[in-house]
Amino acid sequence: MGFRQRIIPYIASILIALSAVILAFTGSLGFAVVGIFLAIVIFMTTRKLLQKLAAANEQKCFLDEKLIQSQKLASIGELSAGIGHEINNPLAIISQETEWMQHLLKRIGERDSKEVAELQDSLKEVLHQVDRCREITQNLLDFARRKEPVFQEVNVNKLIDDLSRLVEKENIRYHIEIRKDFQQDLPLVHTDPPSLRQVVLNLLTNATHAIQKDGKIRIATKGSENGSVDIIVEDTGCGIPKDHLTKIFDPFFTTKPEGKGTGLGLSICHGIVDKLGGRISVSSEVGKGSTFVVTLPVNQKKGTSQS
Amino acid sequence: MSGKPRVLIVDDEERFRTTMAKLLTVNGLEVAAVGSGKAALEELKAKPYDVITLDIRMPEMSGLEALAEIKKINPGIEVIILTGHASVDTAVEIMKLGGYEYLLKPTSTEDLMNKIDAAYERKMTREQKGR
Repeated sequence: MGFRQRIIPYIASILIALSAVILAFTGSLGFAVVGIFLAIVIFMTTRKLLQKLAAANEQKCFLDEKLIQSQKLASIGELSAGIGHEINNPLAIISQETEWMQHLLKRIGERDSKEVAELQDSLKEVLHQVDRCREITQNLLDFARRKEPVFQEVNVNKLIDDLSRLVEKENIRYHIEIRKDFQQDLPLVHTDPPSLRQVVLNLLTNATHAIQKDGKIRIATKGSENGSVDIIVEDTGCGIPKDHLTKIFDPFFTTKPEGKGTGLGLSICHGIVDKLGGRISVSSEVGKGSTFVVTLPVNQKKGTSQS
Repeated sequence: MSGKPRVLIVDDEERFRTTMAKLLTVNGLEVAAVGSGKAALEELKAKPYDVITLDIRMPEMSGLEALAEIKKINPGIEVIILTGHASVDTAVEIMKLGGYEYLLKPTSTEDLMNKIDAAYERKMTREQKGR
């Protein structure tokens, strides 16, 4: 609520109260009492109305932002699919020509030459880079693909536990500890398991990358009274600068070194969570770490998870 | 599994189909290559083939249209779709039309060889059972 809106009920009430005081001095005590009562009622009502208005405004801003983000993602999705497809064809030719050159060089190589060995090495590198491009186009296509979710009753604690075990094995060599903090009586969530797995895995991988070595990841679940479940992924990594926080879910935005990330992971997560009817938010402090919260609706399905 | 699979490559990218033909030939397959769905149908009427690799996006006749026609001419032939334009809808359509496998370009010759071998084996097994 803005300052102007906040002071309106006070001004209105003060004016009425002043009138009541004047009336009291002029001898109309009855009018004065009615005036003060009116002042209180007007103060309460106006304040309540203004609070409601502010809440509605906030909700509108949130929905507007969500709509803009969805439209942006949709148009970038179309573009990504186009680029992904168009690049795949020339990539296929590069890959095949390289394989053919390798085959020819093998024949020449039988006569042995140092240069041939070097050429073989270069061609191997070309194929390696083709693989890298293939991964990028695959990511672009995944980003663009709008898979319709198939909703099922999901034990979120179990799903996360299985995934974190996978990540845990990988993280041992980097001395990254994963702490699980699950709410035991968490309700089953009506959601799409593979999509949710993708989101959680992405968040865990990002947390690992943010820490690099020696740190902690806390993954927690929490149910709320309004019929939603929070999945919280907290890391003690490098953190995200404030000016990056607003762009973190934008496609192709990345802070990772060149060649290490396409900047699509979090925007894919955002798209998935949106499709699942939830939302994803982030808070972070540079040097201390980041916290991502995925909030999913339980969808009023009854049941309890056994984790 | 005995004998060499006879493979027909259908792709409108000339460089792609000729190099692929060379690569498959040095890997011991009997290979021919054509640049359109229509040319593929003509080729099939003239010679027998075991496996076809088929592109999806081609001018005049699309890969899906060609696949439907190929299956009318020879339902036993195995068709591997090899395309840069993948989508779930297309994949479902291919399976409905009787396509054997779906590969996204770029793919390595080794991967493609494995798929061709598997398709050929399936065709041979089916033919033996039919005897």
